[in-house]
This record gives sequence, C-alpha cells and structure tokens, in this order.
Amino acid sequence: MNLELLQAYGPRMLSGLVTTLELVFISAGIGALMALPLALARNSRSRLLSVPAKCYILFFRGTPLLAQLFLIYYGAGQMRGPLDAFHVWWFFRDAFFCALFAFTINTTAYQAEILRAALGSLPRGQTEAAASLGLGSWVTLVRVLLPQAMILALRPLGNELILSLKASAIASIVTVPELMQATKLAFARSFEFQVYIWAAVIYFLMVEVVRRVWILFERRLTRHLVRAAV
Amino acid sequence: MVEVDRASPRAQARQANTSDRAVAVELYGVSKFYGPTQVLHDVSLKVRVGERLVIAGPSGSGKSTMIRCINHLETHEAGKIVVDGVELTDQRERVDQVRREVGMVFQHFNLFPHLTILQNCTLALIKVRKMSRKDADGVAMELLERVRIPEQANKYPGQLSGGQQQRVAIARSLAMKPRIMLFDEPTSALDPEMVKEVLDVMVSLANSGMTMLCVTHEMGFARQVADRVVFMDKGRIVEEADPETFFGNPQHERTKAFLRQLLH
Amino acid sequence: MGAFQLLSFGPEGWGSQLASGVWLTIRLAVATLPFGLASGLLLAIMINGRNRMLSRAALVFTTIFRALPELLTIFIIYYGLQFLIQAVVDAAWPGTSIEINGFLAGLFALGVVFASFASEIFVAGLRALPKGQAEAAHALGLSRGTAFVSVIAPQLFRLTLPGVGNLWFVLLKDTALVSVISLSDLMRQTTIAVSNTKQPIFFYGVTCLIYLCLSLVSGAVVALLEVRTNRAYRGAR
Repeated sequence: MNLELLQAYGPRMLSGLVTTLELVFISAGIGALMALPLALARNSRSRLLSVPAKCYILFFRGTPLLAQLFLIYYGAGQMRGPLDAFHVWWFFRDAFFCALFAFTINTTAYQAEILRAALGSLPRGQTEAAASLGLGSWVTLVRVLLPQAMILALRPLGNELILSLKASAIASIVTVPELMQATKLAFARSFEFQVYIWAAVIYFLMVEVVRRVWILFERRLTRHLVRAAV
Repeated sequence: MVEVDRASPRAQARQANTSDRAVAVELYGVSKFYGPTQVLHDVSLKVRVGERLVIAGPSGSGKSTMIRCINHLETHEAGKIVVDGVELTDQRERVDQVRREVGMVFQHFNLFPHLTILQNCTLALIKVRKMSRKDADGVAMELLERVRIPEQANKYPGQLSGGQQQRVAIARSLAMKPRIMLFDEPTSALDPEMVKEVLDVMVSLANSGMTMLCVTHEMGFARQVADRVVFMDKGRIVEEADPETFFGNPQHERTKAFLRQLLH
Repeated sequence: MGAFQLLSFGPEGWGSQLASGVWLTIRLAVATLPFGLASGLLLAIMINGRNRMLSRAALVFTTIFRALPELLTIFIIYYGLQFLIQAVVDAAWPGTSIEINGFLAGLFALGVVFASFASEIFVAGLRALPKGQAEAAHALGLSRGTAFVSVIAPQLFRLTLPGVGNLWFVLLKDTALVSVISLSDLMRQTTIAVSNTKQPIFFYGVTCLIYLCLSLVSGAVVALLEVRTNRAYRGAR
C-alpha cells in the first residue's frame, strides 16, 4: 500500500464513506416508514388505492435506479420555476438530496413489495381465526398479521438493505461526494489503480458487517420460534 | 401380502437345483466403511444365473448397501465383486459394462419427473443403446404392457399412483434387457393397497427366469418366489437358507428374533 | 418541439439514436446471459464439488462479487483489464497503446456479477434435487454427461427458473451502468439527447418507460417458461 497516496486521498474517501452511510441509512429508514402504507394500499380491496400502489411499485422496480436518479436530478433543473414556487428548490438543487430522494422512493417500492409478499403468504386461517374471535381489521392487522409477516420479511429486507448499500455507488454519477465519487476522483488524479481496490475492500467490509449484524438481529427477533420449530 | 401357495407345481419347479449354473454375481470378502463405522463386514455371496435371492434383515443391517455395491452406486473398500464375469473396480468402463447388465429398482422409484412415462423408459435406450426413437418406443410400449400400464404412457410420473410409478420403474429397468435385476425395498414406500400390484409384476418376472436380488420385507414374496433367503444383521450375513428352512427352522437367535418381530 | 418530433427518426428527432441504444442494451443483456449462466453453473459445481480448494476459491470469488457495487465491478474490470493488457502489450511491443472493447468489458463485468448470484441459486437447486435422480440415471447406464444433460439439467432449470428470472431483471437494469464506460446503450443515448435538447423529463421519462416495457416483456417470457416447465407437474399428486 502506498502511504503517500493514502495520505492524499484517504481523508476524502473517509468522508465519502460517511456520506454513503448517510445516503443508505436515511433512505432505508424513510423507505421503511412509507413501505407499510404502500403495501397495505397494494393489498387493499379498493381499486382506488391498489391500482396506483401497484403502478408505483411496478415502475420503480421495473426501471434502473440510474434512470430514476437522472429523471429526478436533471428533471428538477427543468422544473426549477415550479419547485421555486413551492420553496423546495433548495432541496432539489443539491445532488445529495436528489440522490437521497431517488433512493428513498426506490427502496420504498422494493420494501413494499417484500411486505406485500409476506402478508400475502400468511395462511388464510389466520385472518379467519381473528375474525371469528371478533377482532376488528385493524387489530387483526397489527396484532396478528404484521408480527408474522415481519418475521417472513426479515431476510429479504436485509437483502434489500445490502442491495441499497451497493446501489448507493450510483450517486457518484451525479457527483454526490460519496465513497465511489471520492474513489473516482482519486483515480483520475493519481491514475493509481489500487484506489479502486481500497474502495472494493471498504464496500466488501460494509456489506459483510451489515450481513452479519442482520443475522444477529434476525436471530434475536426469532428466538421464540427456535424451540417451537423442533 | 401375496397369497402363498407352496403346493403349486410352479413353486415346486422353482426349487430346481441351480448349483450347476454359471455365477451371475459374486461377492468375496467385501467390506465397506462410512467414515469410521464399518457397514459391511467381510461379506461373501454367490448368486447363480436364474437364481432368485431375497435379502432380509433389520434396517441398518447393510442389505441395501450391499446390493448398491453391486452396480457401484456405493464403492467397497475391501474385497472383490464380480458381476457377470466382470470385476468391479473404479474404472469407468467396467462400471459402465456392469451397469448395462444390471437393472435396479429403488425404494422411491426415482422416475424422472420431467419426462413422460414413455420417455422415462426410452431415455437409456436412445442415449446408451443408441436406438432410434421409433424402435425404443416399441420396446418401451411392450414393457409397459407387460407391467399393465400402457395407457399411462404419455402421462408424467407425478400423475401416477405410487404402485403405478414403481411398475414403470421396473419397466424402465427391463427396457435395457438386463441379465440381473436388483430390487432395493421396492414396496416399502408404497401404500399397503398398492403393494400387491408391484409384487405381482415381480413374481411374473421371477417366473420368466430372471436373476433377481431383492431386498424386501415381504416375507410372503420370499416364500413364494425365492430360491434362497439371506439374512443380514449389523453388516454381516448371518444366515442363508432355502425359504422352507429359513422360515420353518431358523438357526440363529437373531434370525428368530427378526422373524418373530415381523410376524407381530 | 412536440413529443412526436423529438422521437422521430429524422434529423430533427432522436428516435434512431434511442433505438440504437435499446438495441445495444438488449444485445448486451442477451450476450451476458449465456456467459453468466455457464459461469454460474461452473461455480456452483465447484462449490458443491469434493475438491476443498476449488470449492473455497469459488466461494470467495462469489462472495466478493456479490458484495461489491456493480458500478465498482465495472470500473475495476474495465480499468483493471486495461492496465493488465497494457502491461502485457508494453512488454511485447513497447510504445503501442491499446483500448479495450467496452462491450466486452461490460459483458464480462455484468457476467461476473450475474454468475456470482446465479451460483448461489444453482447450489441450492443441486442440493434440492433428490440424490435418487442421479443414482437412477447411473443405474440405467447413462454416462455422467448424458445424466447431467437429460436428467439433472432439465430439473435444475425448473427449480432455478424463478431465481434466474429475477437475476435477468437485475441484469437488464444493470446494463444502464455500462454507460459510464462510454458504451452507447439506451442510457447514454438518452443522456446525449438530453444534453442537446434540454428536455430531461421527457427523455428520461421515455427511457424509463422503455426499460419498463423490456421488464414487462421479460416477465411474460419467464411466466411462459414457468408454465411450460411445470407442465409435467400439473395434476401431480
């Protein structure tokens, strides 16, 4: 490893790493909050709710994140007038916020689909049992269906978090100063290929840490199921 | 279980002496290990052409392992196995040569679920025997008629009952015109009402003079068909005798215990 | 300018540029698929194999490329290959400079990622196949190759189709990333149109819809394949 190189570009890559983590965890957190209502809308019997929800999920899962990011980032420039009028231009003029926005609405679609699939795979008997006990639909959802669905959704949600982490590198294409962008800059200036290897190691470690922490998290949450399964 | 009719002329005819015939399968001091546990201890056995052998014994006694060694689905670590004059080694050609002569029927049928009944029976004919599809279809249909399910030829295995599947599996093996047939608990996975249809096919196969080695718990079948019953326990051959002696006058304590258990 | 004009195929419109971008995107995805599938299967066989060293090596390889951002993998392979080949060329013919083919680099990078994920699916599929299937094939005297082609592979195909279909969607969308190594795929052609017309919403919107159509068509094909491969299992007890 080249010490001089590390001295020159290390700090910038480190601050890029922080930006990457901000992008990923803020978007995943907000996405988690929005995914549940979206999944419920998608599963709703009212077509007024289910059709738009279905279209939203289809669109954001069926198109590349890069295209969505470009649509928002460059589209915002074209829409400057109206955005200014609503006092949100400060948000959309910033590449970081644009990326955050794009990642959030994207991960919302993926997380909603995971929750929908989990809710849909629960046996009908659960709903019927709850109904026969006279539980209202809200109580049935919150106390009976969701706890079971969340367990089923845990593994795919962890995967989605890892995919988001990897996808965050795309933000570099609209010059958000995150890890990938810092790496590209270091490469452009030094023409040292090893900076890409550093980035690879950092991304690899991040993914491994998230993966392992998620497994621990999963184990804690499903502790009560272990004995029953035997 | 199959009705036993020991007085029938056919049953008497099969008691004919086969000791002057050529040897079909010979095991000589065969041993096998799974890791540190020895599952076959110095097993020796001679089966002559046309002989019908039933191998019995409690689960874990090594009987399945022994017949699986005969077509090299399992490898043996010590001793010698000669099948139809060919000594089994790890050499590919020898294994292929032996497998061409030996048919096998499994406990769980192992039909290929993505192929129709007919395709199951013709696959090896076309790929190994290099037969044309038309000829292979002819051979297969003939055999499906013999096991009495020609009308199912274009269905898939998943659409058949267990008994029907096992009969197809027998037809599939027979298509290759094997000289020796191995049966590895062919009725153990079947619902009771389906056992008879499979045993009937096996009986008629026995009557046609096929050399057969059957691992089975169907003692009625053993009585009716076998020339010899071999009893195995803990990886060893404990006792072998003709069915009359085996069932009427077993010599070893373990055989007696096994037979008592089976009757209850 | 109206939408019709912007998308027309004449000198005023960007229709032919977008069409050529779509064509390259499709070509890249379709060319990556067999490479990715074959490498994925090979990796799975190595992982399942008895050779400890090979199995370990394959696992490390797939773990790494499943963890790296696709964009980074593309850069690493594009520049890495360039450096590598340049070093070789410099040694042999000093002073010559070469440029690596972007299409091949993109294919290779996307294929490596595809293979790493596919190997995981194939390993699970191979383990899910009952052992008796291979045994029955061997007992019938089929050679290893024939047993794989006629007995194992068709069943593996059915078992892994949902997972592989999913990877195809991911691949289709990931092709957009090769625009960063100056391949004229749909994404790059769109960006060129945008920089000339200053109509980002329109063009990126159209491009999103094109990707969506490709996804929907793929989805229909996968569904059709699933129906076909499950035909044998319909009405199964």
